[in-house]
Amino acid sequence: MTSASIAAPSTGTAVVAHLRDTLFISELRSRKKVSVLEELVAALATAGITRHPEAVVDALRRREGLGSTGIGKGIAVPHGRSTLVTERAVLVARSRKGIDFESSDGLPVHLCFLIVAPPLERDPIYLKLVSEIVRGVRLAKTRQRLLEAPDFGAVRDLLVEAIQV
Amino acid sequence: MTDQLAELIELQDIDVLLREVRDPEMSLHEERLGFAVDNVETLERARKRLAARIDERLLQTYERMSRRHVRVVVPVERSICSGCRMSLPTSAGRSATTASGTLENCENCGRILYRR
Repeated sequence: MTSASIAAPSTGTAVVAHLRDTLFISELRSRKKVSVLEELVAALATAGITRHPEAVVDALRRREGLGSTGIGKGIAVPHGRSTLVTERAVLVARSRKGIDFESSDGLPVHLCFLIVAPPLERDPIYLKLVSEIVRGVRLAKTRQRLLEAPDFGAVRDLLVEAIQV
Repeated sequence: MTDQLAELIELQDIDVLLREVRDPEMSLHEERLGFAVDNVETLERARKRLAARIDERLLQTYERMSRRHVRVVVPVERSICSGCRMSLPTSAGRSATTASGTLENCENCGRILYRR
């Protein structure tokens, strides 16, 4: 990974290209971090992104062990590379009740964006996905609208708008 | 998937994460986005514990190859090694014999293969 690829300006298209209705959970059942990760990865497995959900959960837990990916303001962006995912994927999940994600500001998480990718030799897109999500949800108004959106299509449109601004 | 293969894959995933957190640019990028990157020693200890469980010869092969490749263990996709993109013969090499079985290698690049 070169510094140029890390610093490359984003055109806001990477996340949009990865959004799929099969990778959307309108309301998470789980309320705790580990069970949320399991629920997210189970959805990845259902969508055919992995046949080994336990190994993918392990990879995400290892990343969480370095520090929570709950970055505050009700947002979590768990992310990790795993040999046992078939392709890059972005899964969007919501929790109106809130998740205890051990976030930096101690607040419950309401919007969760899971990003996974296989460990490719060169993959600037993976980092771009993480950056775009973080940038896209920086406004409180956007976060609120994402929580209130009626379905995947509306969530997708909001993300497209927010990320491409 | 054999236990040895599963452990090698886990080792590879840990190594990928370690490589990222040890890369100053990558970890700065994460920190700028608001992600904490601490407790690297815990991850290093986990790697050590896992490596101790893996067959010695296999581990040596993995360590040697990981100096050249980010991915030593790769999937076979439509009879192609996804590491070097070479088409695999009907019977790929089977050179890595361990105490718990035989692992499949790509005859071209030597990477360890797994079938999804």
